[in-house]
Amino acid sequence: MKGTELKYDDLEGFLKGLIENKVIDALIMPHRVGNKVSYMLVREKNKIEPPASVIFAPSFGVNAANVIKGWMIDNKVGIVAKPCEIRAVIELIKLKQLNEESVLLITVDCSGAFKNEDYAEHYAEIGNLVDSAKIKELEGKGISIREACAICENRLADIGDIIIARVNGKVGVAGLTEMGVEALSAVGLLLEAKDLERKEEKERIVAEARKRLEELPKIDSVEALEEFLQDCILCKNCRDVCPVCYCKECFFDQPLGNPAGGDLLNLAELRGAIEVPANQLLYHLTRVYHVCTTCVACGACEDACPKSIPLTRFYPVLAQKVQEIFEYVPGRDVKEPLPFITYKEEELEERLR
Amino acid sequence: MEEEKGGFEPKIIGFTCNWCTYAGADLAGTSRKKYPPNIRLIRLMCSGRIDPMFVLKALLNGADGVFLGGCHPGECHYIKGNFYARRRIAALRTILKQFGLDNRVRSEWCSASEGDKFARIMKEMAEEIKQLGPNPMRDKIL
Ligand code: SF4
Ligand code: SF4
Repeated sequence: MKGTELKYDDLEGFLKGLIENKVIDALIMPHRVGNKVSYMLVREKNKIEPPASVIFAPSFGVNAANVIKGWMIDNKVGIVAKPCEIRAVIELIKLKQLNEESVLLITVDCSGAFKNEDYAEHYAEIGNLVDSAKIKELEGKGISIREACAICENRLADIGDIIIARVNGKVGVAGLTEMGVEALSAVGLLLEAKDLERKEEKERIVAEARKRLEELPKIDSVEALEEFLQDCILCKNCRDVCPVCYCKECFFDQPLGNPAGGDLLNLAELRGAIEVPANQLLYHLTRVYHVCTTCVACGACEDACPKSIPLTRFYPVLAQKVQEIFEYVPGRDVKEPLPFITYKEEELEERLR
Repeated sequence: MEEEKGGFEPKIIGFTCNWCTYAGADLAGTSRKKYPPNIRLIRLMCSGRIDPMFVLKALLNGADGVFLGGCHPGECHYIKGNFYARRRIAALRTILKQFGLDNRVRSEWCSASEGDKFARIMKEMAEEIKQLGPNPMRDKIL
């Protein structure tokens, strides 16, 4: 991967230039309110805040892809976000929930993020930029990154149209697609051929992430699953914040999936007694099947759960097992077909019985 | 509902396609092949119509086993419905495996002329599920 090196302070001109030169009509990017970081949708270039102090901030609130989900528009929107968020956008394009031409995907390096409330609380110690050494040090003080981030193998920006990488105290910018390269040249960033390949760093991240995944408590029986979900109040927040859960009408909002009154009495009669609210296990098992190929392991579901159920141990962990059998990595390539709309004539027989 | 292991007669729900496996079951019947009466068949037009949620619902509601049947790969009445079904079933079983429920779900390709095969699969499956015992979901308050 070849790119060009900029100073952190040059990023502001770059993002402003995208709007000024009409490469994009709007930009979704992080912004700061006091100690907190959230997203904003910018149309006026002077509203862009100095990016260096926000775009790498290790704070996770919503998955930015969920903001733009279902926008079937002709305009072009730039999105500056972390790898898991951009991967979700790519899945949404494949799911036909977005037009490929209406987004310019700008992926930033991520070093792992804290829940946004943890980030705000410990801002003085965390700051705007962290690296793996700093994360270890903070962990020692009891300030830990999200579980989803600890098991993430894809922290380095390597997908989307443009990447913004952190290299040698500077930023490396590269265009990965034709759209990305055009956008960069439109703002006058002609690309020198700096090498942005980071093989060793990637290997180190993958090894660490796998180790952390191994260490996660396992949910490995029906009983363990029941216990894991016992506190679930079926608020369905985990569905609503999930970038790749996209049905217009969810089965679990309809009478069959969300039975009440006489229907519920009948079900209770059938079994003698049922847990209420009903369908706790069916809801989660169905949802994990629905997202099993597209889950980007962002952990937004866990963050949104009002009962603090550590959903990362369920959704991304199970999804990864399914993704392995199809050798599919969500968000890796917009051209790669979704596993459920393609097939090979000879495959998978050993998994059927 | 606790039955003694010896006297346990599993309930198996089968989802089969109209063109092959259901016809195969019919053939087994009309040619008087014997097989255990544990299966309750539900006929769909194609194995591609099997929504994995059918399987989840059956298991959560206490079915001891779920049988899924379709035409042999390459012989689907709708050309490729069973290729898609195979991917979905493989994904679902991968998820169920995590909780030890995958061995209650079995899928087989069985054509309209394979009445013998259908009867044999039913025998095997009834035997396998008897070994496993009743579905633990049955007695739970879910
Ligand atoms: S299931 Fe959870 S981790 Fe997976 S994409 Fe949805 S919100 Fe993210
Ligand atoms: S967000 Fe938590 S409580 Fe709400 S449905 Fe999901 S798991 Fe249950």
